[in-house]
Amino acid sequence: MRRLSCPLPLLAATIALAAMLTGCATKPPVDDPDAMAEYNQTNDPLEPTNRVFYVVNNGLDTVILRPLAVAYKYVVPDVVRSHAHNVLANLSMPGSLFNDMLQARSRRAGDSLMRLVVNSTVGVGGVFDVATGWGWPAHDSDGGMTLAMWSLPEGPFLFLPVLGPSSPRDATGFAGDIAIDPLTWVGEGVVVSALGWTRYSTNAIDTRAGLLDVLDKIKGQALDPYATIRSLYQQHRQSQIDDARSDDRATVPAWFAQPRRP
Amino acid sequence: MLTRRFLLLSATGALAMPGLLPSPARAQNLDQVAAFIAQTGTDIAAVVNGPGTPGDKQKQLQVVIDRTVDVNEVARFCLGRFWRAASAEQQREYQELFHRVLMINITGKIGEYQGVTIAVGRAQPREGTIVVASIVNRPGNPPSKVDWVVSTDSGGPKIVDLIAEGTSLRLTQRSDYSAYLARNNNNIQVLIDALKQQASQQG
Repeated sequence: MRRLSCPLPLLAATIALAAMLTGCATKPPVDDPDAMAEYNQTNDPLEPTNRVFYVVNNGLDTVILRPLAVAYKYVVPDVVRSHAHNVLANLSMPGSLFNDMLQARSRRAGDSLMRLVVNSTVGVGGVFDVATGWGWPAHDSDGGMTLAMWSLPEGPFLFLPVLGPSSPRDATGFAGDIAIDPLTWVGEGVVVSALGWTRYSTNAIDTRAGLLDVLDKIKGQALDPYATIRSLYQQHRQSQIDDARSDDRATVPAWFAQPRRP
Repeated sequence: MLTRRFLLLSATGALAMPGLLPSPARAQNLDQVAAFIAQTGTDIAAVVNGPGTPGDKQKQLQVVIDRTVDVNEVARFCLGRFWRAASAEQQREYQELFHRVLMINITGKIGEYQGVTIAVGRAQPREGTIVVASIVNRPGNPPSKVDWVVSTDSGGPKIVDLIAEGTSLRLTQRSDYSAYLARNNNNIQVLIDALKQQASQQG
């Protein structure tokens, strides 16, 4: 097993310290129902602390992650990047499969399983995404969504150091995802550990490269980029959860009479 | 006997009670809105992929947007609870600036939309509006799910929101403005000044 836990206590201590230093958002007065409704809808009582981490992350992003992503996009051809993306997606497929099962979404679990099997074999270790064309399309599935479907409350909005926008529910789900990822537990030693971290960092660069245009646009056009990112994150998570909830395709064997689709 | 007055009355009655319209009429309405979005998608793609300089295309796209989007309604929505607090003069100025900034933001990067195609799906009523599903394909990008929210309150169909991958553009814009206002003592004039700067900077 690889040791992933070392930075976590430090991280927790930093968050706690920042929270103590900056405190909570001021609630609007009770006699202003509109402002109160907005405060509740925004769901960001830790806003001052979150904004500190937004600034910190933004700084890290400007000097490290964004240049890496720009360079990655500039140096590596489109085709290779999309293949790298496929491989990374395939590596996370066992985790998606677990989460689909924990969410009791049998057809989604079937999609994930077939994607893993087909893309790992016919797709040459995940380089080619054959499964989508064969009728097993990709979908989003992670620990945060699983906890949401188990009716766990979301909790307040969090902006975490390095990890970015989150919530207690999503952060817990993220930790769970690392724990249930088989690759976390496979092998031992320096090489395995190095491969693991390579995967995490490539994933970060791949994700950041995919967001280059969007984030540049937000930072260029929004009056308050933090609030815009918060709103986008909350809406996007909700829509992922809604999609998973409403995906109630029936599980009928192919040789049986199929239920009629609306 | 079917008199003209009877026909007139029933027509007014049907108009006044949209909920009681026979379902074929409502389905027809949905079809009309879906066709409106399909036409809008074709128009946008025609401008973007058509001939002309980027400047020409921007002007053509502005015409399409002005014809199909209820920009004033979107502007009002984005100001949220501050709309009522604004003076008539501020409302007018804000709407004008909003219109200009929106145009700049949409048409500013017209080159990025090259090769775009829009496949329109089905229309469904939702909370007083009609939502038309679509898949937008851009070369080099994974296909994205875009819902077009259409209101028929002002007579003809007008787009009032876009929901891209589950995120509503007008809702996001409203939270941007309200956060900005909250950090500036809820002073609408500060927002108007900021929009002025955006309009002049990028225009």
